[in-house]
Amino acid sequence: MAAILAVLEQRNGEIKRVSHEVLAAARGLADGMGAEVHALLIGAPGMSADGLGGAGADKVLLAADDSLGLYQAHRYAYIAAQAGTDKAAVVLAGTAMGKDLGPRIAARMGAPYFNDVKTMEGSGEITITRPMYSGKAIATVKITASPCVLSVPPNAFAPVDAGKAGATEDVAVPAPVEPARATTVEIKEPEHAVLDVAEASIVVAGGRGVKEEGDFNVVEELAAALNGAVGASRAVVDNGWRSHSEQVGQTGKTVSPNLYIALGISGAIQHLAGMRTSKVIVAVNKDPDAPIFKVADYGIVGDVMEVAPRLTEEIKKISEG
Amino acid sequence: MKIAVCVKRVPDTEARIKVGGDGKSIEESGVKFVLNPFDEYAVEEAIKLKETAGGGEIVVVSLGTDANQETMRTALAMGADKGVLLKADVAAPDTLAVAKALAAELKEGGYDLILFGKLAVDDGCHAVGAMVAELMELPCVSSISKLEIADGKGKAEREIEGGVEVVVFSLPAAATTEKGLNEPRYPALKGIMMAKKKPLEKKDITLEASGVELTALAYPPERKEGRIVGEGPDAVPALIDALKNEAKVL
Amino acid sequence: MARTLITPSEFQAPLPQEALIDSGPPDEERIDMDVLFVGGGPAGLAGAIMLAKLIKEDNEKGDGVGEVSIGVLEKAGSLGEHSLSGAVVNPRPFRELFPELKDEDLPFGTPVTGESVYVLREKRAIRIPTPPSMKNHGNYVVSVCELVRWLGEKAEEAGVDVFAGFPAGSLRVEGEKVIGVKTVATGLDRDGNPGSNFMPASDILAKVTALAEGSRGMLAQAYMEWQRIKADNPQIFALGVKELWETKKPLDRVIHSMGWPLPNNAFGGSFLYPLESNVVSLGLVVGLDYRSTSLDVHELLQEMKLHKLFKPYLEGGEMIEWGAKTIPEGGYFSVPSRRCGHGVVMLGDSIGLVDVPSLKGVHYAMQSGIYAAQAIFGALKAGDYSAKVLHKYDRLLDDSYIIKDMHKTRNVRLAYNKGFYRGSMKAGLMTITGGRFPGKKIKMEPDAAVPKRVKPAKPFSPDGTLTISKVDAVYKSGNITRDDIPCHLIAKEGVETAVAEFYSHLCPAGVYEVEDGKLTINPPNCVDCKATDILGPRWTPREGGAGPAYKRM
Repeated sequence: MAAILAVLEQRNGEIKRVSHEVLAAARGLADGMGAEVHALLIGAPGMSADGLGGAGADKVLLAADDSLGLYQAHRYAYIAAQAGTDKAAVVLAGTAMGKDLGPRIAARMGAPYFNDVKTMEGSGEITITRPMYSGKAIATVKITASPCVLSVPPNAFAPVDAGKAGATEDVAVPAPVEPARATTVEIKEPEHAVLDVAEASIVVAGGRGVKEEGDFNVVEELAAALNGAVGASRAVVDNGWRSHSEQVGQTGKTVSPNLYIALGISGAIQHLAGMRTSKVIVAVNKDPDAPIFKVADYGIVGDVMEVAPRLTEEIKKISEG
Repeated sequence: MKIAVCVKRVPDTEARIKVGGDGKSIEESGVKFVLNPFDEYAVEEAIKLKETAGGGEIVVVSLGTDANQETMRTALAMGADKGVLLKADVAAPDTLAVAKALAAELKEGGYDLILFGKLAVDDGCHAVGAMVAELMELPCVSSISKLEIADGKGKAEREIEGGVEVVVFSLPAAATTEKGLNEPRYPALKGIMMAKKKPLEKKDITLEASGVELTALAYPPERKEGRIVGEGPDAVPALIDALKNEAKVL
Repeated sequence: MARTLITPSEFQAPLPQEALIDSGPPDEERIDMDVLFVGGGPAGLAGAIMLAKLIKEDNEKGDGVGEVSIGVLEKAGSLGEHSLSGAVVNPRPFRELFPELKDEDLPFGTPVTGESVYVLREKRAIRIPTPPSMKNHGNYVVSVCELVRWLGEKAEEAGVDVFAGFPAGSLRVEGEKVIGVKTVATGLDRDGNPGSNFMPASDILAKVTALAEGSRGMLAQAYMEWQRIKADNPQIFALGVKELWETKKPLDRVIHSMGWPLPNNAFGGSFLYPLESNVVSLGLVVGLDYRSTSLDVHELLQEMKLHKLFKPYLEGGEMIEWGAKTIPEGGYFSVPSRRCGHGVVMLGDSIGLVDVPSLKGVHYAMQSGIYAAQAIFGALKAGDYSAKVLHKYDRLLDDSYIIKDMHKTRNVRLAYNKGFYRGSMKAGLMTITGGRFPGKKIKMEPDAAVPKRVKPAKPFSPDGTLTISKVDAVYKSGNITRDDIPCHLIAKEGVETAVAEFYSHLCPAGVYEVEDGKLTINPPNCVDCKATDILGPRWTPREGGAGPAYKRM
């Protein structure tokens, strides 16, 4: 049975956490067809394959070259497509790199490609499920062509403890084509250190329940304690307390973090439209009949000004303790 | 400079999605169709480049049915010069088939730059742009937040986790656009009137299917009912416990 | 001393005439068209299609008028998005406009297969015989949105230029002549300063401008005031709030009701129509001469839905859309004496072509568009766009079934100015006598001149499923107007609390709220129903695309 290729990602030689999720996805698929998982790691020399066997890789292919430390799209695609041609499927993560690399590998291999894959199974024919129409529908797709390229979103597959060998093998890196078509020259630090509300995996948003502008720090402090982003309801932005870039809702941003904490937000549909696909929703509101409690997974009925600081305190204890 | 912009006709993101009787597609009646919002950034960027250069030609290319003409006219009203409609039945979501068809058409065009929206809001596949570039052996930068073109060379920026990647490339090249690259203009009245007179070529083509089949379209599962864990700040420990051990988000 | 009565007109700002009638020199950068229809509703589109047909036929005969550019200006982002009606439509003008099409090809929707009329009490529904004016055999339940979109396609096919997303902000005039309109600037921020997406207003000039802006059309009002065009009675209006529901219980007929939940001194009633096998449209229409400041049409509709006549059709179903619009109800006596002028004609709801007892206006609107097209065609042939030539429109209208129908029912609505029971008796008499008795015009006041008693509001707690808040309702109207849009409503400064509260109940979309006793305005919520223009702060158009996005209303 042909193996599954798991294309991993490194930054400065360190393997990204999401690669363990990719291995988990690949492992699931491989076990279903009695196949091996071969991981591919492309980067500068000195990359460590530690832990990759445990995370599910039977073999780890290392494609190392000084010129490959930063992501070079065309060259990475070439190497991955070479490694993928004799495989049953290629799996990678939907990171910034993966979203660019995945389609390229597929085009090079003449293989179908799907991103945002939530489930994958099958042998010979692989069947996947993925969202469509901004998450308003789930599609089931049967892939008869082989191999195919599948990209999984972060946080969709939990890393596994697979205890595989993870034996490393060096892969030849073709010399770069001259003149280079495109070159990644640097990674700049972002201009704004502020975590964007639409990108964060934890969002703490404040609404009218935060009485005064000066009190909004309870929202900021909780967000900081959780390493999350600050969000705001339309009412708060209309009052001028926060900028429109933090507004969550139909006329603001649509967010889908792992955890969304709504502080003093009543839950008008316009706001819900912007966050209802969050994985876990927590609501704190003085009004037990507030509509937000209908969509929240967990709720506390109480004054935001009392509950939020206590929440911040307890969270800090966990991260410090 | 000759620029191609690939555009797609998609349901408005505000549209209510209803699964049709065949269980595999959406009911289209009452659904408003628009120019893919990400493609608007691509069209706008092309127009800005043409304005800066003081000349050039912008061709919008779309794959679909006659209904796509209205969508393409929006791009023409914004400022594109002509349109090419590749008429084909697309069995969604076969991005490779679409990419092959577009690449075949674009190869003949002698384009300096080919722009795409990073993804289409109906299938969200985020694939066609990079695939076309790879098939045409063109450099391509995806999800660009900034673009500079000068003297046959380009520099683009794209946001990655915790930073901004800077890529330099030479023309001809391709790029896919991210939200915020620019602010797409609303077509002016004059633009709308002139769009009707701009040439829109139609070509019948057949797609090479890639061996994928959408077998079912369903609604996402309903959220499980939540619960109030308590009242006031004393309920916080119970909440933390639930978030840690039940929901596993902490 | 606490106020006990509010006469709305005392608190209203006047229509900004100087801004609306613009006699300045036309812009260099302007669009020149031959004929411009302002408003892409049934009247404007029917007019444009008919005119295009007449011109085409004329050119085919040889020695025709040549190429004529016809434009339709619509403030909504796409055709249909600001269109709302019940609606049960008489197909007559469709057949005149499209003689080559078969009935199956026309966008008729569901034929009316039965009807019932009820008088409601809080817990009961008493069926009464269907008044002859309300019989709907041969008519169809349609979504006016779908109708407008269909007409829009036909207009484009006929070569008409439809400009959606362009509201008309003022009339361009030269002396007494109307020479076109000026659109509204886009991309201003809350303080009126140009933002990044700024597009200035443009002049669109035309030989004839046909005003088809619908109920309480701003430019039609401005023109009539400017030219001192009067009618026997001022125009009066009703506010209708409507919802579209997906239903689990099929409805086999159209239902109308009167009585509860309206107080006896308010005129109005409800409708429940089957739009499709599993979709019903339901609404409540209330005359704006109601007598209490806390009457809230949206809230009354929510209460009404819990009545056993309606609830079974809604339980287990889902509300798909919500919307609101006003309807002119003055009838025959409120239709202006002259509906044309130099370079201008006025169509449809903006001149009150609605027959209240039968609740019909859509086909009258289209028919008026057809007559306008005939008159405009005559003007094009003669090369003369003066009132004298366009007056043909007035004659066609006066001789038509529209005016004849409206004449028969001329006092039916007006009879209710003294309350439900006396009104019903009078209305009954009028029906029996074919309008002859009581036949003398019943004098009406404009709605804003009717004093309203200051009354405390009933508490309102929507459950979020069957009954909804105004904030949620606005969401369901498809309204995604940007939050920082400049305020388009002209309110007097320092409005007192009682008046602010009146406004908060007047507006179905929650534009007006009272915070700390003061009036706060949420302009993005506005769904352009025009109730505010009639009884409260004056309405002006926002940038194109703002407002609701109705899909099948």
